[in-house]
Amino acid sequence: MCCHGLPVGGSPSSPGCFVPLIQKTGGLLLTAERGGRMNVGTAHSEVNPNTRVMNSRGIWLSYVLAIGLLHVVLLSIPFGMYIFLHTVKGTPFETPDQGKARLLTHWEQMDYGVQFTASRKFLTITPIVLYFLTSFYTKYDQIHFILNTVSLMSVLIPKLPQLHGVRIFGINKY
Amino acid sequence: MLRVPSRIGKRTHAPAYHLILEGILILWIIRLLFSKTYKLQERSDLTVKEKEELIEEWQPEPLVPPVPKDHPALNYNIVSGPPSHKIVVNGKECINFASFNFLGLLDNPRVKAAALASLKKYGVGTCGPRGFYGTFDVHLDLEDRLAKFMKTEEAIIYSYGFATIASAIPAYSKRGDIVFVDRAACFAIQKGLQASRSDIKLFKHNDMADLERLLKEQEIEDQKNPRKARVTRRFIVVEGLYMNTGTICPLPELVKLKYKYKARIFLEESLSFGVLGEHGRGVTEHYGINIDDIDLISANMENALASIGGFCCGRSFVIDHQRLSGQGYCFSASLPPLLAAAAIEALNIMEENPGIFAVLKEKCRQIHKALQGISGLKVVGESFSPAFHLQLEESTGSREQDVRLLQEIVDQCMNKNIALTQARYLEKEEKCLPPPSIRVVVTVEQTEEELVRAASTIKEVAQVVLL
Repeated sequence: MCCHGLPVGGSPSSPGCFVPLIQKTGGLLLTAERGGRMNVGTAHSEVNPNTRVMNSRGIWLSYVLAIGLLHVVLLSIPFGMYIFLHTVKGTPFETPDQGKARLLTHWEQMDYGVQFTASRKFLTITPIVLYFLTSFYTKYDQIHFILNTVSLMSVLIPKLPQLHGVRIFGINKY
Repeated sequence: MLRVPSRIGKRTHAPAYHLILEGILILWIIRLLFSKTYKLQERSDLTVKEKEELIEEWQPEPLVPPVPKDHPALNYNIVSGPPSHKIVVNGKECINFASFNFLGLLDNPRVKAAALASLKKYGVGTCGPRGFYGTFDVHLDLEDRLAKFMKTEEAIIYSYGFATIASAIPAYSKRGDIVFVDRAACFAIQKGLQASRSDIKLFKHNDMADLERLLKEQEIEDQKNPRKARVTRRFIVVEGLYMNTGTICPLPELVKLKYKYKARIFLEESLSFGVLGEHGRGVTEHYGINIDDIDLISANMENALASIGGFCCGRSFVIDHQRLSGQGYCFSASLPPLLAAAAIEALNIMEENPGIFAVLKEKCRQIHKALQGISGLKVVGESFSPAFHLQLEESTGSREQDVRLLQEIVDQCMNKNIALTQARYLEKEEKCLPPPSIRVVVTVEQTEEELVRAASTIKEVAQVVLL
């Protein structure tokens, strides 16, 4: 429907509506590598699969659906995403790179530390969109505003490239 | 979003600060959509001109560097026939004092028969790693037998001796972990440490005070940063009998240090397996230490067992990890079954005649004593070590000159039918390059008179060459 037949090499197929817009505006969205499909159950040569999880086929859609389902309990989403993206470190599996990612959070591991890739932009924009929706639903009430803004900032600030690998007050360093 | 159409009939205004914030966020989204991807470190601040200059200046090194004509790798001796007790070098039959055939099992008829039977049954190679149809019953048998022989829970086989310890170390020690290793560690251990990407701390050879100093320093660091210490693993890597010096490691003190400073010991027993101890179980039996105190024992089967490959043994919990993380185990073809059968037969012989270890020890002591007092050469190594070194008492000052002198001694001994060799190293790659030396190997098959003859030959030749 909204996915044109634009030849975009190696893009994840689910955010098809997103990509032609980016192509038209000319931003260099994709890295040179194929941010391709995660072939489930087959051998691949990816050193740390954690870096490519967010590029796999259907994950953006699953993310939006999960948010939609959890939309009822609005506060749990930014809290949950913060834990999974910015608190938990390392990988749940052994990697052949001798533990390079042992001290890195999932956000820092994504795409091997390359900033502003497609998945990173998607994961940054979604909380902002959610924030707009929540502000609309709570009718701009003051208390809700404070809570929502604080949770939005707590999710947005760790995603800045200046904060890559930064551990404030040594929390969560090792 | 200025006027929100109400559903209840009331008009709800969006407050001004909220609108400003939303405006900022929308601008942020637009900026995000336009931003380029970049890698964090790759900010090269060189201008195009500077890059051109650097490219102009660069001179490529020759693909094949010039090498002197008398380089040892270009002038090698050719052996025809098996390198057993009598070895035929360049057409001349000599007594073998160079091959690590400690128990004389290389030419043993029982071992050869077992290998032949296995060859007829399985063919030559396995054509696959252990995970892809490369596991045969002889492999499982050999692992079982080795575990029982060493009195550990489990053993794992590698198909290449060098790769054994070089795969075992990086399977456990990763980035951020600390390894305390002896300076005289062999090249295989050095490569394993390099592959592990851990922090390496070298201590002086067999100097327990130096090791304790390093461990204490690490303890102080740990107390300053307990959270980091909780995720850091500490290892001590030593060899039973050192290949480069022929000395033995002080294992009882090491075990004490291990429990005091909470580190794990990896013991490399390539030269001491099948040599030390009452039944040939290695340096733990020699000192009477409980084998459970050592976390991992690694040895290659290319010396006393006269096979190819290596093994690691220890607790099941430790060894099982290497079945998926040992790079040499998962990604190399497995040991040819005829060599595994030969190793099993060699183990059988070792278990049936435990007397050979005492015989070997006696012969080592004999030649060690006989070689004392040569003017110009000093004996380096324990008296019970079957592989020891003869170094120049006074170096001439240049390593090349030393190597040439020792090569002269070796050549003249060869003329008198004693086959010796110099210890060779990759000089640019070794961390702590040992001084040049002649390596003498004692085997069970050498008779007493041969030992006496060898000692006197070396004495005569050394007197001629060095004086």
